[in-house]
Amino acid sequence: MASPVLETHGLVKTYGHGESEFQALKGITTKIWNAESVAVVGKSGSGKSTLMHLLALLDAPTQGSIVLSGQMTSQLGAREFSQLRNETFGFVFQQFFLNPQQTVLENVTLPLKIAGVSKTERNQRGMETLEQLDMAEKAKNKATTLSGGQKQRACIARALINEPTVIFADEPTGNLDTATGEIVEDILFDLHTLRMITLIVVTHDEDLAAKCQRRLIMQDGQILREEHGVTA
Amino acid sequence: MRTLDLVGTAVSNTSRSKLRTALTVMAIVIGAFTLTVTAGIGSGVNKYIDTMMASFGDEDQLYILDETNMDQAGAPGSAGAPPEYDPETAGASSEFGFITLDAADIDVIQDIDGVESVNPMVSVNGEYLETPDGTAYALDQFDAPQNASGLEFAAGGAPQGNDEITVPTAWLEIFDTEDPHAVIGQEIEIGLSNAIGEPQSATAEIVGVTEEAISGLGGNPMPSIALNDALYQLQTSGMDIDDQYMAVTAVVTDLEGNEDAVKADLEDQGYLAMTVEDQIGAIQGIINMVTYILIGFALIALLAASFGIVNTLLMSVQERTREIGLMKALGMSGGRVFALFSLEAAIIGLLGSGIGIGLGVITGVAGNQFLTSGPLSDVAGLTLFEVEPAALGLIGLLIVAIAFVSGTLPASRAARKDPITALRHE
Repeated sequence: MASPVLETHGLVKTYGHGESEFQALKGITTKIWNAESVAVVGKSGSGKSTLMHLLALLDAPTQGSIVLSGQMTSQLGAREFSQLRNETFGFVFQQFFLNPQQTVLENVTLPLKIAGVSKTERNQRGMETLEQLDMAEKAKNKATTLSGGQKQRACIARALINEPTVIFADEPTGNLDTATGEIVEDILFDLHTLRMITLIVVTHDEDLAAKCQRRLIMQDGQILREEHGVTA
Repeated sequence: MRTLDLVGTAVSNTSRSKLRTALTVMAIVIGAFTLTVTAGIGSGVNKYIDTMMASFGDEDQLYILDETNMDQAGAPGSAGAPPEYDPETAGASSEFGFITLDAADIDVIQDIDGVESVNPMVSVNGEYLETPDGTAYALDQFDAPQNASGLEFAAGGAPQGNDEITVPTAWLEIFDTEDPHAVIGQEIEIGLSNAIGEPQSATAEIVGVTEEAISGLGGNPMPSIALNDALYQLQTSGMDIDDQYMAVTAVVTDLEGNEDAVKADLEDQGYLAMTVEDQIGAIQGIINMVTYILIGFALIALLAASFGIVNTLLMSVQERTREIGLMKALGMSGGRVFALFSLEAAIIGLLGSGIGIGLGVITGVAGNQFLTSGPLSDVAGLTLFEVEPAALGLIGLLIVAIAFVSGTLPASRAARKDPITALRHE
């Protein structure tokens, strides 16, 4: 935890213009350390999703700056943003976003396909990752045939396949029942501790948040307070 | 993303909604089919006219008339208003109201630089043709021997010697045979009347049997140049009259290079000279015009089809908004997203042009086969449809290009999608 993987300075994000102008973030300055697990907690409208989008380089801040592994991201072009996302981040979404037309393996290897990895290597790495998540026998199935928990495991496999330094999980258990949700949580935290992957979870589930080393509690576009230590 | 993966993804995306792709492809097929058939007919008919062109005389010949004829005829190269009245020209002898040329004109033309030789075009009117069994059949016109190079033969070859002649296939009946080879070598007698009405005759040997072309060439017996001249001498014997020619042909050295100079010299001397191409140009102009109009219609069909592509892909972009958002979130650049959708458009274009051109070629070849061996089998050398690989390639390229351009609007819309908004899209 010596160096911060992500650092923000006075992040402001404004949507709309004039009368309809809405400030989603009102100056966020924080650091996320390497191999840390952080939960961004808050009610809807608190700005937690916006913060995650900015941290994940999916959106650019109106004001302020983001430093990724010591590099100022504001100087980068669109193409470099894309490449950074592809190489350093993994995404786990609440709605999974699996392509129903494609097999599990094809879905899981999509980041490698985008990165330009050959098909043989893609499939090999895809199978390895699926095996780690006990999903190997589902590799050739269409994504639609999976249960909710299996879908989220496929989603995690997709987030893992490019060996990311940071995994962003946006309400990863939001669409799952409690039991399945806990399994998925265990997988995520195992990856975090065993592989030293930085985990940034956006959630309003307090149990999930409690498992993280640090919690950023957000309200009205600002960090209200920080909590440290695993409380659950 | 690797280009190969990009193509693979585009292919599987187009096959995702098969009915929609099929309908869009269908519209392009119609355009491609029309273009292929039109272009094929255009080149087929033009090729036939080219072969016909040869039947109007050698390509290194100039066909020369007195200029005054053309001034009134309104033919290609005519000057519009009639020339001023000139009693001397008006006094010149004429045939059917035609200002003719005579020996003096031939000398003048012969002296022009570049003219190798001058052959008067004389027309002989026969009266009868007697077959070896002694029966005489009515005979009217001969084909002009200058056009021998355009003949198509069922048997034998062109008349060249002093007393050689060809007969058309339709005349085999009077020789009591159906085999064109059977009449080669037979002796016939040609009868005609001279200037004062006395009967004259000459014998000739059949050296060829000709097919009648659409131009009519080959539909009458054709004597050799020498035999034609001999018959003409018989026809004009009995009276001391100057020879009059409706036209003469001149062989010019390197016609292509000297054409303008020789024509200008002839014009200065009061003659109008036309190459075979000049004479045929008007017909080809019309064929080309019709071809261009039909190609225009095909292009309009393609234009309509291109809107189909735009529509299909816009729907596809809309439906796949979240997928696009995911790909962009996972690091696919806008340029690659653009390439993906443009490629899908190009694939639709490729499918449509492939099927359309294929159907067009099959229809054209089969139709040509059916017509030229069926209803139009009497027309020798007729081609209605010709496959030109270069033209087909060009049509394919054009359609893929049109499809690609149509794809750019939906593709740029897809490329500009913001990943967050796209992922939130329901």
